[in-house]
Order: sequence, then C-alpha cells, then structure tokens
Amino acid sequence: MSRDSKLHRWHHRMNFGESLYLGEVFRGMGITMGHLLKNLFWTKDMPTVQYPEEHRDYSNRFRGRHRLMQREDGTEKCVACMMCSTACPSDCIHITAGEHSDPSIEKYPETFEIDLLRCVYCGLCEEACPVDAIRMDTGIYEIAGTSREQFYVNKEFLLNDNQQGTL
Amino acid sequence: MAKVVIDGKELEFPDGTLLFDACKEARGEPLPHFCYHPDLPIAGVCRLCQVEIEGMPKLTIACNTHVRDGMVVHTRTEKVIKAHKQILELHLINHPVDCPICDQAGECGLQDQYMNYGLYETNVCKDDKVTNPKAVVIGPEVILDKDRCVLCSRCVRFCRTVTKTGEMGIFNRGDKAEIGTAPGVELNNPYSVNVVDICPVGALTSRDFRFKKRVWMLKSVDSICPGCATGCNIRLDFEADSIFRIKPRYNEDVNGRWMCDSGRKEYKSVAAEDRLKVPTANGSEVDWPTLFNEIREFGKPGLVITSPHNSLEEQVLGQFIASEICGGNISSGLSDSFKGNADDMLVDADKTPNRTGAGLAGAKEYSAAELIEKIKAVDAPILIHSNDFDGNSEISTTLDAKTVIYLGTHENEISKQAAIVAPVSCWAEKDGSFVNKHNRVQLFKRAVARPVAASEDWRLLADLMRLWGLSDVPESMPAVRRLVSVRVSELSNFDMNAIAINGEIPGAAEPDDGGEG
Repeated sequence: MSRDSKLHRWHHRMNFGESLYLGEVFRGMGITMGHLLKNLFWTKDMPTVQYPEEHRDYSNRFRGRHRLMQREDGTEKCVACMMCSTACPSDCIHITAGEHSDPSIEKYPETFEIDLLRCVYCGLCEEACPVDAIRMDTGIYEIAGTSREQFYVNKEFLLNDNQQGTL
Repeated sequence: MAKVVIDGKELEFPDGTLLFDACKEARGEPLPHFCYHPDLPIAGVCRLCQVEIEGMPKLTIACNTHVRDGMVVHTRTEKVIKAHKQILELHLINHPVDCPICDQAGECGLQDQYMNYGLYETNVCKDDKVTNPKAVVIGPEVILDKDRCVLCSRCVRFCRTVTKTGEMGIFNRGDKAEIGTAPGVELNNPYSVNVVDICPVGALTSRDFRFKKRVWMLKSVDSICPGCATGCNIRLDFEADSIFRIKPRYNEDVNGRWMCDSGRKEYKSVAAEDRLKVPTANGSEVDWPTLFNEIREFGKPGLVITSPHNSLEEQVLGQFIASEICGGNISSGLSDSFKGNADDMLVDADKTPNRTGAGLAGAKEYSAAELIEKIKAVDAPILIHSNDFDGNSEISTTLDAKTVIYLGTHENEISKQAAIVAPVSCWAEKDGSFVNKHNRVQLFKRAVARPVAASEDWRLLADLMRLWGLSDVPESMPAVRRLVSVRVSELSNFDMNAIAINGEIPGAAEPDDGGEG
C-alpha cells in the first residue's frame, strides 16, 4: 500500500494556508506574469521560433529534400544505374534509362522521379550513388503541396529548383 | 576409368573427362573461369582455372587437361588461390569500371569472380588503362563494347563452330588485341544473341534489352518458346507485369544452351497495343455475366475451331466441347498456315508450338477451301479459339455471315466482326503444355498477369461447357490435365501432372531422368 500512497501524493492534506486558495492563486499568477515579462523583454532567450519568418538552424548533415547534381554543362550527372532505386527501402525512386547521344556518356535517365510522400529520408540513395549524382543536402524540409501529384517530383525540378519543397 | 584425388576426395571418372568437369563435381562449384564453355571447343586462354597437380612443376589449367589415373589435384591451396587472384588482376588491368551503366552488371562473370576470388586493392594505376571503342553496333541484335572485353574468345568460337558463320575474331596482338567482326561483316546470323548469353562480361550485350532493366530486378519463370515446333526451353525474365527478355534454358534433349533470335522476340506480342482487353457482345463492351447471357441466347455451337498455338489442355477442352456438342466437328485451322524457313539447328519450318498437340487432341487441319466449306455448312454459332486467321480475307468474309463466339488475345479481322469477343490469356499469362515436333510434352508456366478483364483460357472453356449443360467439367488445372489423359488415347498412361522440368515423351521406353537443368 505504501506504493500507492507514493503514487497518489497529491492526495496529501492541504494545510490551512493552502485551503484558503487565494494565496495559491496569486502565487500561480506571479509565475505566469514572471514568464510573460521575461519573454517580453528578453525575447532572445525564448525557446519559441517565429516560424515562418524565422527558421531553426539545422546541422549541415541534415537530410533534406533531394537534388540531382549537374555536370559542368548543366546536364544531369546521373547515369541511370538504378543503384538508388535498388537501395531505396520505400521504393520511391523511379527511373527510366535511355541511350545518350554522346557515346562517352552512353546511359542517362530519361525520367527520374521521386515520390516525396513515400520517401523516408533515410539517405541510402545518396550513399548508394556511384557518381555522386543525388544528394540530400538542400536542407529543405518544408515539403508541402495541395495535391498528391505535386509530391511526385521530376528530373527537371530536382536538377534546377533547389528552393522549393515540391513542384 | 580413372581414379583421381581432388582436394583429398577420391573420385572415379571415365577416361577423357576434362579435369575442369571433375573438379566441378569434387568441389561442388566450378573453378573460376571465363573461356571454358561446355558446348564450345577448348581455348585455354583465360588461364583462370589453374590447379595444382602433384608431379607437375607448375600450375596447370584444368579446362585443357584430361583426368589421368592416379592424378592428385589440389584446387584450394594457397598457391592456387594466389594464382587465381593474380590472373584476375591481370584481367582487370584494362577493364573499365563501367558497372553502373553496364547491362551485364548483376550477372557478370568478372563481378562474380572478383567477389569470390579477388577483393584486393589494385596495383595498377587507373589512369593508364588501355581504352577501346565503346558501344559499337556490330549487328542488328548485338552491341559490342570492346573496352569491357576480356578476350575469352567464346563468341569467336561460337560463330566458328556452332553457327559456322565465323563473323567474329580477335584482331591485333598484346594489349592492342581487340574483339570484333571481320571487316565489312555484320554479326547477322539467326543465333547471334547467343553470344550475349555466353559473354562472361558486358562486352556483348543485347540491343533489344539495352538499358531496359537492371538484371537483379528481374524474376524468372520456366517456359517454352511458342515460336516454332522445336519448343526450345526458355526462361522468361519479367518484372511486375512486363516481360523484358527471353533467355534459353538448358535442355540437352531439345535446344541445348541455345535459342534463335526470333524466338527471343516472342515476348513482344504479350504487351502489344492490339491486345483484346475487355469482353464485347455485338460490338459493345459488356461484363462477363452479360456476355454469358448473350452466348446462352445464341445457343450451342456447331463447329469448334482451335489453333496449333493453343496449349494441349485447351485443345482437349475444345475437343471435349466439339465431341459432346458439335458431333466431333472440330478443326485446328489451316494446314498450310504458319510455315516458314527451317535450318539445321533449331528453327523448324512449322511456326506453331503445338501442331502435334492439336493432332493428338483429334483436331483436323484443312485447306482454306475445305475450311470455308465446313464453315458454310454450319448454321449454329461457331466457337473460335484461335488468333490464326489474321489477314485471311476469304475466311473472315465467310465468317462474317455466321454467328461467331471468338476467344482470342489480339485484335484482328475476326475479332472486329464477331458477335461475341472474349479476351483470353497469352502463353506467358497462363499455365499449360506444348507438344513439340518430337512428341515431347513440355510445360510452360505463368509469368505475368493477364489483362484485368481477360479470362484464363481453360476456365472460360470450362464455364462455356457448364453453360451448354455438359457434365464432368474439370474444376482445376490438375483436373484438366487428368482429362487430357482420359480423352487422348496416346496419353492414356501418361501423367500430365508429373511432367519433369525438361519435358517427357509419352510412351518412350524409359521416362527421361529430367537432366541436370
């Protein structure tokens, strides 16, 4: 039974001062006012971030939305080897390979689509990539859209647009 | 007989056995190799399969040595393993690191050997590699990457000894040696894609399969090529609901390890645009219950026309319907259709997979004039389970006046005018068996799903039998196969449900042992 009495400590008997409530009410209000004044005049110490005007800092290693790397001439680095889609645990990368007009490149992705709704942001795709074509270093975590199709991002978007979350 | 001790195991082999094969049996796995191929002459150029033979001063290649009585061979000593490693490193000196874009990756001999025997840091500077032309088109079916070649010469030997066309060769010497076709010659023989199969690396790849899929994503199912009466054993490689390629499957009694190029394209019709996908009655799309109601209203058929492309099981169900309802009025189409060129290897003049099976089921073939007479003589509906009359205007005009219940896979003249069109499955979408020209009954298995609204052939035929009031209708595929033994006298003592993977010839003196696969 001693265990019970420990668990239900709030059942202790109030003393006379506490049973008047009034003093306790003011004590509580005092704590509230203290926080209010502190947050009004020392805003920097406040843990709340004024999102979306302000953003919290993330580590450089944070895995945000993917991007596709470009060669110097602006074409995609990807050679469509499908290592990323093979490694992907959520099966969210869909590539169709094609024959490149430049025989020294040979293979390139005709389409490269990522279903951001399926992605679990594990980073196995960038780990698997043999040519450093896919990276998750954009730091973008605000991935929002008004339809499911918007989350199905294509090659052109992943290559060029590194500001927005989705299409 | 020669008694040989391999890795401490004493085994006995017939004289003349290659030491390579003996080692394979003793070790349970083959020695590392590139140039050795059981169906090609020995070249001994890759030097990978070296073993230590007691009494010999140096290591010896096993593929060019015959077993000798009293031979003591070691294949796993430090010396041998070191040799394997070093030879492999020599092979890899000029090999590009192309694996990400190489179609062979995943089934590549070099990758396998490296993972099994190599695994070292290379001693060779990467930038010094000798490079050769890449992506050279050498024929209608094959593309060559000279850079990836390890000069095993399998393709050269294949073209010289198997097809006897000799298009390919090794040119120049030393590190300038390269594989290629003779000047002005294309690799254009009917078996050219086999060089892709035997190439241990990604030097020769198929143009049809190029960049379509990574091989580790594919699943495989054993099947039979429907391209001709030879019935080559094949493997269908597919992912999800599409077939990506056809590869030959080893069957010593039928096709060995080869198959022809046109057979490899048979998969294309499965996903063709003109597949019949929904049942139609009088030209409008209907659901299956409505379709069956329509068929009931038309009444029982007076003639059944099947096809030598249908499986043996379907032939027998067709014969069942014909003999019970149409008084045995059954035809398997035209006797002179689907004839083509034959050669002395695998291709047969008869371009249907199951003409023998149709004959076993009692379906007769007629000339066009005879078949038209037969069709004209029938007033009742005609049940056609065949795609074979595409482009035959005489027959389609004759059928135009008749009520046709058409079970087919692809759109054609008859499907456009038939009263009832019921879509059924292609050969890759169902189980069944073909009887090849040598009476060998061979099973094929389902690889991909049929179109959503299509039916499986035997189920549809069984449903029609029930609709027309027949009894003892089989309820399952094993039951259909038992029915085959009942209705075909030649197969009465033959268990269709226990056919070995390599097929069996009914009534052969001794059932085949199934081979080694």
